[in-house]
Amino acid sequence: MTQTVRAAADESVDVRLTVNGTPAVVHVQPRVTLADTLREQLGLTGTHLGCEHGVCGMCTVLVDGEAARSCLLFAVQCEGADVVTVEGLGTPDAQHPLQQAFSHHHALQCGFCTPGFLMSAYDLLAHRTDVQPDELPEELSGVLCRCTGYRNIVAAVADVAAACPEGVPEPGNLGERTLVGRRAGDMTHHAPERSEQEASRAPERVAVPSGTPTTRVDVSARMTSPVEKVWDVLGDVERLAPCLPGAEVTEAIGEDRYRGRARVSLGPIRLVFNGVAQVIERDADRRLLHVVGQGADAGGSRTQADMRIVVYEADDGTTLHAEADLYLSGRIAQFGRALAGDVSRRMFEDFAAALDEAAATGSAPARRRAGLRLAVGAALAGIGGVVRRLALRVRSEVRRTS
Amino acid sequence: MKAAPFAYVRPATVADAVAALAETGGDGKVLAGGQSLVPVLAMRLGRPGTLVDVNAIAGLDELATTDVGLRVGAAVRQRRLEHEPAARAVPLLGMALPFVGHRELRSRGTVCGSLAHADPAAELPAVACCLNATLDVTGRRGNRTVPAPEFFTGAMTTVLEPDELLTAVTFPLARAGEGFGFAEVARRHGDFALAGVVTRVRVTDGVVAEAVLAAFGVSDRPVVRDVTDVVRAHGTETGALRDPMNQFAADVVDTAGDAHGSTAYRRRLFAALAARELAAAYRKGSETQ
Ligand SMILES: Cc1cc2nc3c(=O)[nH]c(=O)nc-3n(C[C@@H](O)[C@H](O)[C@H](O)COP(=O)(O)OP(=O)(O)OC[C@H]3O[C@@H](n4cnc5c(N)ncnc54)[C@H](O)[C@@H]3O)c2cc1C
Ligand code: FES
Ligand code: FES
Repeated sequence: MTQTVRAAADESVDVRLTVNGTPAVVHVQPRVTLADTLREQLGLTGTHLGCEHGVCGMCTVLVDGEAARSCLLFAVQCEGADVVTVEGLGTPDAQHPLQQAFSHHHALQCGFCTPGFLMSAYDLLAHRTDVQPDELPEELSGVLCRCTGYRNIVAAVADVAAACPEGVPEPGNLGERTLVGRRAGDMTHHAPERSEQEASRAPERVAVPSGTPTTRVDVSARMTSPVEKVWDVLGDVERLAPCLPGAEVTEAIGEDRYRGRARVSLGPIRLVFNGVAQVIERDADRRLLHVVGQGADAGGSRTQADMRIVVYEADDGTTLHAEADLYLSGRIAQFGRALAGDVSRRMFEDFAAALDEAAATGSAPARRRAGLRLAVGAALAGIGGVVRRLALRVRSEVRRTS
Repeated sequence: MKAAPFAYVRPATVADAVAALAETGGDGKVLAGGQSLVPVLAMRLGRPGTLVDVNAIAGLDELATTDVGLRVGAAVRQRRLEHEPAARAVPLLGMALPFVGHRELRSRGTVCGSLAHADPAAELPAVACCLNATLDVTGRRGNRTVPAPEFFTGAMTTVLEPDELLTAVTFPLARAGEGFGFAEVARRHGDFALAGVVTRVRVTDGVVAEAVLAAFGVSDRPVVRDVTDVVRAHGTETGALRDPMNQFAADVVDTAGDAHGSTAYRRRLFAALAARELAAAYRKGSETQ
C-alpha cells in the first residue's frame, strides 16, 4: 500500500478480504465494524455481539491468525486480511476437537459466549503447546460467560491441550464456499431503503453453490407411475413446476433458466423467495436432472440450492431419489438446521406425490398436499399454459448460529 | 453502540499522516490498534470527524535494536513485542505486557498507542518512565524527541499536539547489574490496575548505584521517583523497605478512592508492592553484575 486510501464518512468503499478461506468483497462505510460486516453482509452470524466495546469477547475472531475483537476493528481496516470465524472452525459433522470437548464437558449452556471462547481457545492452543491447566483461567479471561460457569469451559480447553501436545488441529472448515449475506452489498445506513421488490430482485445468473451446505436433504420416494412418464414430467417445466409446493415460474429466460417465486409459510413464518433456477444437466440415459437455484426474500433471508433428482424403475413403479444441498442465510437462519432439513424433506415428499399424480394424469396436479400447509400462490391453482411456472424452491434455513 | 460517522484516511507515509491530521484542523484522531479509541467512539464519548489509520505506514512496524535501545515503531503490536526475542533485552516489557488487557486485545493494540492514550492505570507508560524511554514525535513543525517522564501531562493527556504523531519509542536495554520488578493488583486479570509498580535497581560491586520506581493507577499519570538514597539508607530487604515506602505512599498516591478501593487501601497496596519489587529488582541486579 503506497497510496493514501480515503473514504468520506458517508461513502461506502469496497474492501477485499478472505473469510474462512473464501475471498470476499464487502462494501462498507468507514464506521462499520468487522463484526457487523461478518454478520450482516456475509451472513456469518456465529460471531456474536455483546458489549460492542471490547469488554466481553463475544465477537472474537481470528484476524491474520490471531484472536481479535471484531467489534473493535472497522471493516475498512481489513483490506487483505485473513479472517476466520467460528463457522470456519468445523462442520456439524466434523467438529473441531475444541467443539467436541465443549460438547463433552457441557461447556455451554445458552451458547452465546461459545463462539468467542472457541476462537480465543483456538488462538491460545495454536500459539502455545505448553499451556498448563493452572494458566487457563487467566488465559481465557478475555471472554465472559454469564451462565455456564467457567469450570467446564476451562476443563474442555485443558482436555484439548492435553490431547494435542503437538498443537491443536487447524480450523477444519476453510475453503471456497458460498457466502450469502442478509443484505446484498451495501451497508449504507443513510441510503434510502430499497423497495422490497428491488431488494429481492432475482439475478440473471445462478451461481453453483460451494462449501458446506446448511443442510443436506436425501430422500427417496416410491411412485406408482411408470418411470418414462415420470421422466416426461421432469422434462416439461410447465407440468413440473406446479408439482413443487408453493412455487411458480414467472418467466423463462433462456438457456434452461427460469425466474420464479417460492412461498414458504410455516407457523408465523411467511417468506417469498424471488429467484432464478437453472437446469444445468438433463441426462436422459440416467434419468437425472441437476438443477441449481437461488432466491432472496425481501426480509433479508437468502437461500441457494443444488439438487439432483434421479428416477429409476422399481417393482411396480418408480423410485425417485432426490439429493439437495441447501444454503441458507439471514433471518431464515433462525430455523436451525434440523428444522430446515425436516421442512425440506417433507417438501420433497410432497413434490414426489404431486409428480406421481402429474405422471399418472398426464397433466399438472390440481391440488397440493396439505401436510405442511405450504401456501400455494393463487395463480398456481390454474394449470399449465398461461403462466409458465416452475418450481424451484429452495428453502430453508441457514447457518446456525446461535 | 455504533460509532458516529467519520471519514477514514490510511496514509502510506508519516508525512502524509501528519498532513492528513493537519488538514482536519484538530478534528482528526490517530487510529492505531483501536483498542482504546474504538470503545470511545462506540460509546459516543468522542466523535472525531476523521480517523487517520497509521497501520499501513511504511516503516512504522519496525522493531529494531539500536545503540540506544529497542526501538518500537508506532504500528508494532503489543503481542508481537511480547513474543519477540529481541525484546528480552528489555526484561520489563516481558514482565508488564501480559498484564496489558487480554491476549485478544494485545493482538491489535500497539505499544505506542498505549503511551499516546496515557491512561493513568496503564502499565506501559510506567515502564517507559521507569526506564526513561525516549519518544519520537513528528508534526508539521518537525521532529522532536521527548523523554517519557516529560511526555505524560495528565490523565489521558500528553505533550502531543493534535497534528503530531508518535512514530516510535526507544526502550534502553538492560545493563549489567540491572534488575527489575513489576507488580500490580487488579480486580480481574486484564483489567486496569488498582495500583501497580515498576522498579529498576542497578548494582555495582554489591552497592546500589541507582534505584528508580514508577507507580501507576495511583495518580493522574505515572509517578516516577528516584529512590536510590532511600534504598541505600534502609537496605534492600522487603521488610526494611516497607516503612519508607509507607512514608512515600502519601506523596505518590493521590488518586481519589473509588468503589474498587479507597485512597488508603491503594496507599497500602503501593507500599507493599513497591517494597517487594525494589527488593526483587535488587536481588536480580546482584545476580547479573
Ligand atoms: C477490555 C479492555 C481492557 C484493557 N485493559 C488494559 C490494561 O489493563 N492496561 C492497559 O494498558 N491497557 C488496557 N486496555 C487498552 C489497550 O488494550 C490499548 O491497546 C491501548 O490503550 C491503546 O493502544 P491502541 O494501539 O489500541 O491505540 P488506539 O486505541 O488506536 O488509540 C488510543 C489513543 O491514542 C492515540 N494514538 C494511538 N497511536 C498514536 C500515535 N502513534 N500517535 C499519536 N496518537 C496516537 C489515538 O488517537 C487515541 O486517542 C484495555 C482495553 C480494553 C478494551
Ligand atoms: S462485543 Fe466485542 S468485545 Fe463485546
Ligand atoms: S453459555 Fe451462556 S453465556 Fe456462556
